[in-house]
Amino acid sequence: MRKYWLLSLVLALTACGTSHKKIEIVEEVDLRPKVGIVALQVQQNTPEHERLDVNLAVFDLGVSDDAELQAGRGVFPKIRAAEARYFPVLLAKEMIDTNSWGVVRVIPEVEHSAELLVTGKIIRSDGLRLELYIKAEDASGRVWLDQIYIDETEIAEYSVLAEEEPYIDLYRKIANDLLAARRSLTEAQLNNVAYVAFLRYAASLSPDAFGRHLSQSSDGTFVIERMPAKNDPMIARVNKVRNLEYQFIDTIDEQYISLYKELTPTYKLWRKFSREMLVFQEDYQQRMVDRENDSRRGTFFSMQQTYSAYKWSKIQEQDLEEMAQGFNNEAAPTVMEVRGEVRKLDGTLDSQYTEWRQILRDIFAQETGLPMATESDLDTSR
Amino acid sequence: MKLSHKTFRLGAIILACCLAGSLLSARFSFAAENTSHVDFTGYWSLDYLQSDDIEGKISTLLREERRRAERLAQSGSSSRRVDSGGAMVIGNGRGGPTVIDLAQMADMVASSQLLEIEQSPTNIKFKREDNFRLSCDFDVSSAVDKVNPLGTEVCGWSGHQMLFTILLPEGLTIRHRLTLGPRGTRLNVATTVISDRVYYPFTVNRVYNRYEPQGDGGISCEVTLSKGKVCTTESR
Repeated sequence: MRKYWLLSLVLALTACGTSHKKIEIVEEVDLRPKVGIVALQVQQNTPEHERLDVNLAVFDLGVSDDAELQAGRGVFPKIRAAEARYFPVLLAKEMIDTNSWGVVRVIPEVEHSAELLVTGKIIRSDGLRLELYIKAEDASGRVWLDQIYIDETEIAEYSVLAEEEPYIDLYRKIANDLLAARRSLTEAQLNNVAYVAFLRYAASLSPDAFGRHLSQSSDGTFVIERMPAKNDPMIARVNKVRNLEYQFIDTIDEQYISLYKELTPTYKLWRKFSREMLVFQEDYQQRMVDRENDSRRGTFFSMQQTYSAYKWSKIQEQDLEEMAQGFNNEAAPTVMEVRGEVRKLDGTLDSQYTEWRQILRDIFAQETGLPMATESDLDTSR
Repeated sequence: MKLSHKTFRLGAIILACCLAGSLLSARFSFAAENTSHVDFTGYWSLDYLQSDDIEGKISTLLREERRRAERLAQSGSSSRRVDSGGAMVIGNGRGGPTVIDLAQMADMVASSQLLEIEQSPTNIKFKREDNFRLSCDFDVSSAVDKVNPLGTEVCGWSGHQMLFTILLPEGLTIRHRLTLGPRGTRLNVATTVISDRVYYPFTVNRVYNRYEPQGDGGISCEVTLSKGKVCTTESR
């Protein structure tokens, strides 16, 4: 049975002369709609002009800096950091399965010159519920999606044999909504998105050469003022640099997929545990209510159950934390070849991405003799 | 009768909470002490002969309690009945949980035969066979180190001893006190189980001897996400 209420238990230890333990029970009612059971819409024949390229940025962790508060809410920052990379890969997989898009990539940071950029923030993620804030915006600044998606799971969805993600309905719903949003646009509008994406990217490389091709209206959307000539050699140069950037993104996208596969078995176990833990909490609250009649408390059997639940949770937590640590830090160096020169990029994926973008801008400036885009230009393009 | 039962329970809860509180405050008072000379680092193997015999310990406890209760009854200073033996007194006196439950728990919690401890100036990791790892950051100012939805861990130095306390639901508290022997070759882990339903806590001492694990021909391996299994000839 799906539950439409949320119970949270807060154990607070506060000083009391020497000190005392205070148990506070807070009950909240959440009647917001959930995604329910969703079938993925698959498009059989998608015309080329409809196949926009999509960038999914690594999600916002949605956690505060207060580690103690997070832990009290069952939020573990390292796991969140892993989830922020895991969830976009899942969404990308569903989007690819719709057969409706161009290249769907996961990228380390927000980059606004993508034809369609999807960003997300994790509001809640545990074994009972996933709550994501999703925003999708095309290169022209048109907002496609801007809403919160909520899904809840049942224990059957955590079957050991089940290959599917327990929250698959949520990702399918987002993929379907994105598809519906795209279908609402005309061919001309979709073509315009592709042009604006190109010009925004070009402007990020050289504001001097391309900055005046676009203007921004009062509502924030971009309008094409003029297009460069089709035989303009600058277009070829921009495309060359852009393709190099895509090559790099494809390389790190493969790393995200590889890390996703590595994490999946343990992460599934973690969420199953998380669900059972939350159910245990609900049960615990009920036992608190019934404690006047609870004659088992303090017996070996009862204490064993309590300790075993904690022990199990800790072992799972520590296993997953170790995995999450590796997930965060073990980004492999990326080796790229450009103009016959081999470049090796180290560090986290987002730092590698930043470094690579800078290399590409250096190359573009050297080749064209145009001033290199400054940091503020890059910020404007993002 | 119900009132006295409630009063007992309230007292037990306050006792448990205050014990937890004293452990919390203990962290602050001991944090400033120089503990750099105590290093638990190493591999440890359980020494059955030197460790507590739990059955014997329970028998002793029951015998002592029975004598105490008899003395109280003879002096007329207690209104409690003693005809059911010590277990009734040590427990809640109504056929509920007793110290034997705590002893069973202590035996279960402290059953690890092998330990591995890693210690640095700022942190200690206490790995136990078939159990979860306990760890403590010495430089954290917060008293509550780790809050899990199912429990809370508190840790810190108490002089030359290392204390780990786990506060669990239903008035259950587990405390581990690590003490290094004078020559550094023995480690005592005193595990105490406290319940708000039983008057007295129960402690079991497990003694461990230092040992050197047999290496794999001097090769140590580590599994990493990006590189898979990586083996080096570096000794551990």
